[in-house]
Amino acid sequence: MGLFNSTILDVIIGLIFVYLLLSIICTAANEWVAALTRRRGKMLKKGIMQLLSNQSTPQSDAPDAMIQAFYQHPLIRALMHDTNHPNYVSPRNFSATLVDIMTGDTADVQFNNLQDAANALPDGEVKESMLALFRRAGNNVDGARTAIEGWFNDAMDRVSGWYKRRTQLWTIIIAALLTLIANADTIQITRKLWTDPVLRAAVVEEAKVRAQKPRPSVSVEYQDEDDPTNPTVTRNEGDRLSDKERDLLSQIVGWRGAMRDNVNWFTPLGWLLTILAISMGAPFWFDMLNKIMNVRYAGKSPDEKAKTPEKSDTSVRA
Amino acid sequence: MKATKSLQVLLLITALLASSSVCRAEITVALTKGFVKKYKDKATIPTTVNIDRHHKHANPIGSGSDDGDIHIAGRDTVVRLPMVAEIINGAKEPDALDFMLQAAAGTAIPLTGVWRFWFEHPGNEDQIQGEDVPTPANTNPDHVFEFHPVTQFDTFDCLDSFIPIEDEEAEFIGYEAAKAFGSYEKRPATITKSGTAIMITSNKAGYNYAHFQIRLAGKPKDVGDGYMVLANIYDSDAKSSDDPVVEDSRRMVFVKGTNPGNLVKDKKKGDKLKVLGIPRVNLNQVFAIASGLDTDEEYSEGLPYEMIIVAILKN
Repeated sequence: MGLFNSTILDVIIGLIFVYLLLSIICTAANEWVAALTRRRGKMLKKGIMQLLSNQSTPQSDAPDAMIQAFYQHPLIRALMHDTNHPNYVSPRNFSATLVDIMTGDTADVQFNNLQDAANALPDGEVKESMLALFRRAGNNVDGARTAIEGWFNDAMDRVSGWYKRRTQLWTIIIAALLTLIANADTIQITRKLWTDPVLRAAVVEEAKVRAQKPRPSVSVEYQDEDDPTNPTVTRNEGDRLSDKERDLLSQIVGWRGAMRDNVNWFTPLGWLLTILAISMGAPFWFDMLNKIMNVRYAGKSPDEKAKTPEKSDTSVRA
Repeated sequence: MKATKSLQVLLLITALLASSSVCRAEITVALTKGFVKKYKDKATIPTTVNIDRHHKHANPIGSGSDDGDIHIAGRDTVVRLPMVAEIINGAKEPDALDFMLQAAAGTAIPLTGVWRFWFEHPGNEDQIQGEDVPTPANTNPDHVFEFHPVTQFDTFDCLDSFIPIEDEEAEFIGYEAAKAFGSYEKRPATITKSGTAIMITSNKAGYNYAHFQIRLAGKPKDVGDGYMVLANIYDSDAKSSDDPVVEDSRRMVFVKGTNPGNLVKDKKKGDKLKVLGIPRVNLNQVFAIASGLDTDEEYSEGLPYEMIIVAILKN
């Protein structure tokens, strides 16, 4: 039996197809959880708290006076949706707000005003940071503002890292929950596809339809096209699952009848393989599906070729 | 019989998952429109790089990855993507290497280099400009962005490194034109745009260096930090009657102040040069393609590329 025996290829296609569908569900759930828990806003708040906490102001001895003044400032309040923390604060807004809090009503702020204001702050972490930043600002108010923006940007780099790690963690948690709820055991799925030619044929047909849909894509927006900080990334993981895909998935995974009876000592291994597969993401399995379809059918379908827009002509090349 | 079937199933799953870890999927790189607009017709980018990892000596000179480069991995303030910087002819830049060896990890160094956006080491993760760039764990982390070659490293001028990569024992000449350009021409790409960003999706590319002959299709254009010129591409030893290896002309990028730059600036249409070059994404064409798309449209054809000329080779 050679590698390119169509049964083996069809089972591989079926397995990839199942992984793709489960990955799409996992991504949708992750986005829902992110929105529900306001993950991005919370991370940003944590980053700002790290910068501005433990600092009282000349007007208030409270240890969180600086952070309170920050969130009461009109520039920041304007970014709030209801009482929710904004998902994005630009470095320019952060710097302007902080300068405003420190210098009060001073019109036409000069570098000396800033330095005096920093010196007048009660002892605290913000005071130390400001004095250190202003020492390197070259007696220049614009330099001081840029230094504050740089300080904020460094903190936001950390926030992005936290966000990414938290999202990865949630992906694995959701993949694990999904796998257990659906009893998506890779070993059982493979066995089922191997032994049921009718189901296998139906899955391959549907996989063919899925492969012809647009590739799951990433879209990014920035606050300003010249400023690469704080991108908002939207992942379009393809269309939602079609009724037919949902129907097929329910025949392949689940806790009913034989699928429940076949749970054995190898099942946790099968679950683990599925969790690993789902955490690789929908775009990965979509690409794999397309590659294996090309091997199976030796070339892309005319439908897929037609997806390229007419105006995207290689004649643009020099 | 049942045991055989089970074994087959397990082998199948193992093969699939093993191939998944080997097969590199396509990744997407997102750049701000402003960045693309600013640098699409520039040879170089000046920046400041936190040096996290670097070679302790230059690569040997031979073939394949023995290209004589010094690799530096770090995080920069302008491009803000995972990146490496590469000083070519590293053995001929001992002062820069000594300086680097003495600098502590994480030191911020002013650096100017030819920007090079190419899917040579893309990894499996999308790369979004401005997202957190992890501290690289080695001198060659997953990246699509390079400063390659470096033209200025702190106070050290590296413009003189744009010469043939050779020592007493060997010369590095890269791949033959037909092989390398055959691969560049087949690179897949999907280009999309949003209101503020351009997204390019492709997969791992090979054939890093190529030696070839160019015949200028026009007069070199001064772009401030370099010269750009359209040229037809031939095998290194092609005769006048031979066909080009690529049907259409491609843009060549020369850096001002380098040996290739000094030589090309006064050339005219039809002049020939035998060169060593490395490919990069042609952001000018990417921008043009993206400008012609609606936000829900995508371009799915070849990856637009151009060649950075790093040395003029002997005839």
